[in-house]
Amino acid sequence: MSDAERSLLRRSVRDVLSNIWPADKAVDNSGNAEAIATLWPAMARQGLSSLGSNAAEVGLREIALVFEELGRAACPAPLLGAVGANLALATQPSNTARALLEDLRQGNATIALALGAFDGDPAAGRAETRGDRLSGKVSFVEDAQTATHFLVFLDGGVAVVASDAPGVRVEATPGLAVPAFSELTLKNAPTLRLDIPSELLADVALVARLACASRALGAAHRAFDLAVDHAKARKQFGQPIGQFQAIQHKLANCLISLDGARLALDAAAAARDNDNPDWRVFASSAVAFASPALRTVSIETHRALGAIGYAEEHEAPRHFRRVHADLARFGGVSRARAELADFLLGPVQ
Amino acid sequence: MSRLPAHDMGPAANAFRQEVREWLAQHWTPEQRAEHLRKPFKERGWDVEFSRLMGSDGWIGIGWPKEFGGQGRSATEQIAFITEMANAGAPVQAHNTGESIVAQALFLHGTNEQQDEWLPAIRRGERTFALGYSEPEAGSDLASLRTRAIRDDDDWVVNGQKLWSTGGDKAEYMWLAVRTDPDAKKHAGISVLMVDLRSSGVTIRPSLALYGKTFSAQFYDNVRVPAKNMVGAVNNGWKVITDALAAERVMIGGTRMAGIERAFDHLTEYLKTAVVGGKVLKADPAIRDRIGALAADIEVARQFQMRNAQLVEQGKVPIHEAAMGKVFASELQERLGQAALDILGTGGLLSEDTESAPVAEMEQVLRHAIMGMIGGGTNEIQRNVIAQRGLDLPR
Repeated sequence: MSDAERSLLRRSVRDVLSNIWPADKAVDNSGNAEAIATLWPAMARQGLSSLGSNAAEVGLREIALVFEELGRAACPAPLLGAVGANLALATQPSNTARALLEDLRQGNATIALALGAFDGDPAAGRAETRGDRLSGKVSFVEDAQTATHFLVFLDGGVAVVASDAPGVRVEATPGLAVPAFSELTLKNAPTLRLDIPSELLADVALVARLACASRALGAAHRAFDLAVDHAKARKQFGQPIGQFQAIQHKLANCLISLDGARLALDAAAAARDNDNPDWRVFASSAVAFASPALRTVSIETHRALGAIGYAEEHEAPRHFRRVHADLARFGGVSRARAELADFLLGPVQ
Repeated sequence: MSRLPAHDMGPAANAFRQEVREWLAQHWTPEQRAEHLRKPFKERGWDVEFSRLMGSDGWIGIGWPKEFGGQGRSATEQIAFITEMANAGAPVQAHNTGESIVAQALFLHGTNEQQDEWLPAIRRGERTFALGYSEPEAGSDLASLRTRAIRDDDDWVVNGQKLWSTGGDKAEYMWLAVRTDPDAKKHAGISVLMVDLRSSGVTIRPSLALYGKTFSAQFYDNVRVPAKNMVGAVNNGWKVITDALAAERVMIGGTRMAGIERAFDHLTEYLKTAVVGGKVLKADPAIRDRIGALAADIEVARQFQMRNAQLVEQGKVPIHEAAMGKVFASELQERLGQAALDILGTGGLLSEDTESAPVAEMEQVLRHAIMGMIGGGTNEIQRNVIAQRGLDLPR
């Protein structure tokens, strides 16, 4: 896509999301399973459920853009699993896999990724197949509560499991992330195993990492915009607080971090789209920068908003949760920095 | 090399980069470089002979429009050029104030006669400049400057004092901001003169700055400057200064980034094999974490620089974007210098001329970082610009 086409895509995704997930209802709806369940068919109607399926037309820049808009709208659409499935299963000849992708794109199926050993967090757990049965425990699974299927990453392949299959237990693990992550426990669950090279799976997991970093960018930027507007309108000591240098410099620092994260994420995504073999290095730098930078933006945003933004009914806490959840996961900043050190200094013997 | 992968700047910039490398291989040999490094530190970087050599081969003014004798190179090509020059340690300081700031102002505000006289001389490396902006009472608040110029026949007569002019003790001409109307509002009464520093009444007092080179105070005592040396209309100097500053940013940002990347390369290259007191440095998780963080910051600083270059290429003037790049890169340089001290320990304090220094120039990087944070408008002023111009917050 050209830059102009990407602007059009951004505008249309923003329009769609403002209809199906309006900002003023985002807080109420985030706890409403029914509202979340209606999201996916609506996104499928817009063609967003096929994101990642046609690499020739839609690359990582477009994926990142859509995730940024999801973050901006504080929208919990289960898109991560769809992108992961579209990328990982693209060349699978299996009829079951093709049927699942078709259901996914039509809005009839939703998929949650259980990355396990590919997650990057050493506590993410893992699962293994024995014949056509899957066992194990995988933590930090996004969108598990509403998923019809799980795509469980294994060494050299994936296992497809229906969420209502025997031996499948999903338990929400509430915390900072909204919606909550879940823990997936599998005991001899019937499964279809598909062989996929581990390198491809690692790339899909890296795309998921960048997609989540982009979602965090959208959330951080939206909260920042709210803070800038607030600084212009809110008066204390007889003047807009945005006239105080303490606030101006705080917000200036935020803009530096936001633009830096955006430029680095764009560069990494463009490198992948252009088949640059170094794209993974740029991806590591983008995550290594964005993770601490955007979390700081989120904190500083709240300091500018003051107590007004501290109420859970305000939009800002949604974004605070999103930014932190999306940037602390997958090994977070430590892993990204370690990857850069591996590249520059060589691995530790 | 243990550096981040270079960004592909496109075929034109890549081919041009190769051309520059070939010229440098012939004209800036390891022997010449070694000889240059035998000079005292404060003399390095300023080499009139080398500037003339560059000028005679057409390497000064590569970004100038062709109508003024330049090559009309794009901003990305200019960055490639600056990076190659900096990586080779080639001395370009003698000509680069004239080449970037003065020339830019002459394109926009010079008379035909000024353009015909001054631009070819600058392009040949034969006319060197320093900037006379700051004064004892006018730093961040530059528009409150008081150095006075009064018209007398065909001359302006200048009285006053300037401070902190880098290269002021080496240059032949001062790009001097003066007050020509003391009754006008402060931005409105300023003009710009090109002052021959060999004129009677000029006293130059150099002092050593923390980074190891000089900057100068100048005293102007009834100095007569020909009226034809005024650039732009009388009392229109603020516009002349700010227009020229916009163009300066790509060049200064490019030079700073090249220096940061080179120092980081040296540090990582050293860490790849360093064993100190039996300890393999690169196995230390704290060091790896710090290096990873710096690498990510360098990538972001490059991205800011590329964005500024692209804005200039699109005919836009980056204001708050340039401020962001400047703030980020200069503070990154400070973080790099501090990190090097933590990683290298006492050895990190040793100067680049000390043979046993584990990595040359790291403490220099730190001392030089201060200039980046103060020069060209302090980072605090830059943050005001970002807030007021970039975010439209109230003044």
